Amino acid sequence: MADGRMRDAGIFGAASLCGVASGLFGIGGGTLLVPFLALFFAFGQHRAQGTSLIALIPPTGALAFFAYAKAGYVSWPTGLLLIPGVFAGGILGGWLAKRLQPRRMRQVFAGLMFALGVWQAVAAWWH
Amino acid sequence: MTLIVLLLGLAVGVLVGLLGIGGGVVLVPALVYLLHMDQHLAQGTSLLILLPPVGLGALREYWRQGQVDLRAGILCALGMLVGGYLGGLIAVPLASRHLKGLFGCFLILAAFLLWRKPQQQDRSTPTAGEGSARG
Repeated sequence: MADGRMRDAGIFGAASLCGVASGLFGIGGGTLLVPFLALFFAFGQHRAQGTSLIALIPPTGALAFFAYAKAGYVSWPTGLLLIPGVFAGGILGGWLAKRLQPRRMRQVFAGLMFALGVWQAVAAWWH
Repeated sequence: MTLIVLLLGLAVGVLVGLLGIGGGVVLVPALVYLLHMDQHLAQGTSLLILLPPVGLGALREYWRQGQVDLRAGILCALGMLVGGYLGGLIAVPLASRHLKGLFGCFLILAAFLLWRKPQQQDRSTPTAGEGSARG
């Protein structure tokens, strides 16, 4: 590919942006990275998701985590209890994804997220 | 309480594997509303959970089918490491109230992106069975 360099730079830039969201909101960043890869870099959906998962293998949120930990914003007992569940659930979800048509689930879930987002924004800023 | 936390982890994990989305998007509001955490504390705890590679089990499935771009993945990891630090620096001094509101706006944006994805998928694979994609 002749434009490989540009593409690499673009991917790095897009990922940096996802990283800012990741640190700002305490999330993995895959929520933004997957659509970015699909929309701007012509990744197929599965390839975008797989690549996003590999980007999350090294603890990419580590530096953000330290910023929170230094300020005392980490609940260790709850966090450590959640890890095994998330891991086991991830395997279960991967298994389910092959058997279910996740399209409908995505839409139900997107609706739920939208409602939750509106609720949080209103609860935070209304009064 | 312990049982609730364990079950919450499992439920979040299923969504991670099934939808290929970050667990944090679900975890943070769950911690805020179910466990009554402060917004900063919920976000910091969510980052703690993402330190070990919780998506490794799901990645195995994608790797087997050759659906991973290693080069792009490494570039993304580097970008997110740097960006993440920046985001953390912005978030920590923010008032909890504003952080919560901003998070709500982000959830709305993420909901739109999530809704969009399946349509994008249908368009990108026009030859691979238009009919079978619509179950």
